[in-house]
Amino acid sequence: MNKNCQDFQDQFPDYLTGDLDAKAVESIRDHVTTCANCRSELEELTGTWTQLGILSEEQPGPNLRKNFYTMLESYQQELESSPLKKFFDFFKIKDIGEKLWPRRPIFQLAAVMVFLIMGFTIGYFMRLYNQNTREIARLHQENQSFRQQLTVSLLNQSSPSQRLKGLMWSRQLENPADETLETLLYTLNHDPNVNVRLTAVDALYLFSDHPQVKQGLIESLQKQNSPLVQIALIDLLVEMREKKAIKSLKQLLEKNKLNPEVKARAQLSLELL
Amino acid sequence: MTDEEVMRNVKSGSVKMLAVLFERYHVKLYNYFLRLTGNKGLGEDLTQEVFLRILKYRDTFRYESKFTTWMYQIGRNVHIDYLRKYKNEMPLEEKWEEEISADTQPEQKTLEEQDMMFLHKALSQLTPAKKEVLVLSRFQGMKYQEISQLLGCSLSTVKVQVHRAIKDLRKTYLSLKGGIT
Repeated sequence: MNKNCQDFQDQFPDYLTGDLDAKAVESIRDHVTTCANCRSELEELTGTWTQLGILSEEQPGPNLRKNFYTMLESYQQELESSPLKKFFDFFKIKDIGEKLWPRRPIFQLAAVMVFLIMGFTIGYFMRLYNQNTREIARLHQENQSFRQQLTVSLLNQSSPSQRLKGLMWSRQLENPADETLETLLYTLNHDPNVNVRLTAVDALYLFSDHPQVKQGLIESLQKQNSPLVQIALIDLLVEMREKKAIKSLKQLLEKNKLNPEVKARAQLSLELL
Repeated sequence: MTDEEVMRNVKSGSVKMLAVLFERYHVKLYNYFLRLTGNKGLGEDLTQEVFLRILKYRDTFRYESKFTTWMYQIGRNVHIDYLRKYKNEMPLEEKWEEEISADTQPEQKTLEEQDMMFLHKALSQLTPAKKEVLVLSRFQGMKYQEISQLLGCSLSTVKVQVHRAIKDLRKTYLSLKGGIT
């Protein structure tokens, strides 16, 4: 015996598949005629190998072919219909996306959770921001309303200095209520103190775009006795370029005992208007 | 046209040429998966998946290896991915048994049908590694050299595995047959 049994048995797998040359096959056949052990081993192998042949190939169902051609068709369409995709493909941007997106489901889940939490966090802060904005608006409104109340309340005080303070406060009003304007006009027309009335003219100047105030200022011209206040009013009306004041100014000029300075200022104003 | 020439066409944009390769290999691949998993529906799904991946990763095909080796590489990955995904499901071997024995009782079958059933069962009871080399060499007609390339192991390892696989299969087959008669 030239080779030991193990060497022959190592060749059996090749014997099965017919990958040995004629010489090697002959050598194995010679060996097994004399070695019972190798003969039975080879018979078992070839017997089982051959027997497996009865497990013939099975045919897949018709759906496999149908699904394949559907897939191929849609893939082709996708390739043709999407120039943007081609562009991305060209720069391998799609691949980057695929690389960034985790392959393992557990990491995919983690990524989804991260995005979800990010979404909630952003949403939470947005809501907080909105709440804060609303809160600030509300406080601002409250503050304005407080100032209006303070203005009205101070204007009703007996002390002139308190009423002057009220007029100072009124300057900080952004959108005074009609009642507040009414109180201001009342102070302008009826306050016993000249200084208060003068300051009221200035205070009302800020709200002169309100029609109510405009009208009130024009009418007030007839009601004032103090030349100081009259001159302040005339200047104000001129500055407002209030054409409607012309009639009121003419009526003022017709008055007897009108202070000459006031008269001069009124005539000048008429020309200006 | 060789497989590799067809792949050249597919790679250069005429993806419809993949149909040629499908017609050449889908039955082989289907039987490969059928023998590994023992489930017909699954065999079809996995076969379909292989062709989808061939399309998707066509750019990664290099002409250094045979197309079939590359195809089986994809096939192996598809199978491994499937096992990972559904490792907690019912073992597939049991499904074989159900599918095979569902129609008739062993006594009512012909001798050949009985043999087939025992062989299927014996095949399914092999370890995954032995089953794989045996399926590839006996049913897929792959050379040991190609198998060693595909599995990334030495040629002698493949031969030893085939030898052992047949012996194990025979042992199980005989014990199954002995149990019935």
